[in-house]
Amino acid sequence: MYLLEINNLHARVGDGKQILKGVSLKIAPGEVHAIMGPNGSGKSTLAGVLAGKPGYEVTEGQVLYEGRDLLAMPPDERARAGIFLAFQYPVEIAGVNNMYFLRSALNAVRRARGEKDLDAGQFLKAVREKLKLLEIGEDLLQRAVNLGFSGGEKKRNEIFQMAMLEPKLAILDETDSGLDIDALRVVSNGVNRLRDPKRAIVLITHYQRLLDYVVPDRVHVLGDGRILQSGDKSLALELEKGGYGHLGSAA
Amino acid sequence: MCAMAAVKTETVPYLEAFRARTRDSEPAWLVERRRTAAARFAELGFPTRRQEQWRFTNLAPLTQGAFPPNSVENRIQIELAGELPAGAWLGSVQEALRDRPEVLRAALDEAELAGAQPFTLLNAALFDDGYILAIEPGTAVEHPIEVVHRGEGGGSFHPRSVILLGERSSATIVETFEGRGKSWTNSVSTVRLGPNAHLRHVMVQESGPEAIHLGLARAALAAGARYENFLLTLGARLSRFDVHAIIEGEGARCGLAGVTLLRESQEATVATFVDHAAPGGETREVFKCVVDDRAHGVFLGKIAVRPGADKTDAKQVSRNLLLSPRAAVDTKPELEILADDVKCSHGATVGDLDADALFYLRARGIDEAAARAMLIEAFAVDAIEGAVAAGPMRDHLRRRVGAWLEQSGS
Repeated sequence: MYLLEINNLHARVGDGKQILKGVSLKIAPGEVHAIMGPNGSGKSTLAGVLAGKPGYEVTEGQVLYEGRDLLAMPPDERARAGIFLAFQYPVEIAGVNNMYFLRSALNAVRRARGEKDLDAGQFLKAVREKLKLLEIGEDLLQRAVNLGFSGGEKKRNEIFQMAMLEPKLAILDETDSGLDIDALRVVSNGVNRLRDPKRAIVLITHYQRLLDYVVPDRVHVLGDGRILQSGDKSLALELEKGGYGHLGSAA
Repeated sequence: MCAMAAVKTETVPYLEAFRARTRDSEPAWLVERRRTAAARFAELGFPTRRQEQWRFTNLAPLTQGAFPPNSVENRIQIELAGELPAGAWLGSVQEALRDRPEVLRAALDEAELAGAQPFTLLNAALFDDGYILAIEPGTAVEHPIEVVHRGEGGGSFHPRSVILLGERSSATIVETFEGRGKSWTNSVSTVRLGPNAHLRHVMVQESGPEAIHLGLARAALAAGARYENFLLTLGARLSRFDVHAIIEGEGARCGLAGVTLLRESQEATVATFVDHAAPGGETREVFKCVVDDRAHGVFLGKIAVRPGADKTDAKQVSRNLLLSPRAAVDTKPELEILADDVKCSHGATVGDLDADALFYLRARGIDEAAARAMLIEAFAVDAIEGAVAAGPMRDHLRRRVGAWLEQSGS
């Protein structure tokens, strides 16, 4: 059975502009899919629609997650069901302590999985393990959520949250953008450690660079709201050489 | 009609109660002072919405109800962790009248009555409750002084408190107002800070849902003095709290901050007035208001810089969060600058919870109600953390905010 099945998905934004014009995609547990495409192709809209971000309207099509109608679920229910979106622009939230936020999120997700809340000691132990993985200092946790974090810290914090919440489906929306090569290596290493036969990962990216570190099973090219081409990892290399313009005209 | 000034009808029950009371045991100066205040109150009557300062405050619950003065002893509870140092005197108004009338007299300045608001005058005529704190120069009271004012239902209650800090002395006071039932609390606190004195003054108004609270804290600051007032408004169907600070001496600093949390049909006004009458003074104001259901919050913030009060540095911020389409906020900053070389700024915002932040929290599995509560708490706590140092006091205020959020269940 597929973990995620997107069938003929059409969606538009608040001002009425149609962005997705019939996306179909099937993802099985354990797979890593890369979705590539130029700016404006609909990559972030697809991520937003899957995570339940307000401001999009689905006009046609269907999304099944573990056989359930995903689009009928509110965003927090999707997260508790195992969907994780690593934000392209993580939101700064003044006054909300990062640690407190993470513990609330983790316990909400654990309860939905039928697991007990972690006590303070267990939580801290889990946190320390994952922090090391992403080379994050503990001081980051005492600060407000993303507030004053550098671009790299924000992205690492996203993957750190993913490591803590252990989703079934992780969607990484341009997690590589704005990262220098060292940070990219750290983040990629974190993502690779989270590859699991039970977990699917969707990498949304503009560049091939990330895929050198996190090697996908499938690569899809999104253009003008549709999937123009799908293939294995060699497709990403072709894109690197030929560019999106070349592919767009071929479609 | 006789020759005396006309008496406003809404004042009659209060004046009758005033006349009915015998004050044989009180010193003549106080009896006279009460009479003067009552007469002025009779002339002025209650404020109306035609007066700019009362334009947003609907006093109907007060004018339509009957609140005969109801002061008796033991309405005040005063607690101090640890010993009061020599050089500090603390007691109820009743105790002060008995043991230290001269302290009370020194604090009740005649000039104060001249320009007073009607409710301040009524308090001056009727007060029986409240506390007096007088600290000699150079004395620090290390432990916070906790005062609880309780107004019982069915009447009005007029606590008068006086805080006198001598040069270089310091203290921390936490006052809680708990009006019960259909009561009206009309409190006045007078603060006088000597040169370089420092007072941290925390006030928590958590009266019941049928109660009315009108309050005034009036502080005069000598050179280099520092007054930090924090006001947490949670209770009462109708409340208004005025905080007035007068920068009388050079380089005095005034920090006014507050959080107001309202729901159902609560009406609350916070009105501040900082009067810079000396050079080099500093004012920092941060007020936050969260309004749910059909509630109405008002902030009036006036800062005046008198001629000659050069190098004044004043900043005022009013931030308001509307949680329901029927909730309302009025916020009115007012700067009156008559000096040169001053830095004054103000800013006001009214808005809803940040949609991006709400989605971010929900995208991590936190349900909508919990995510909203987290953001509302963050909004309010920011003002607490900016004004109150880390420690038991800050924790106490945070807990009050947390308890309010738990009651909403939305």
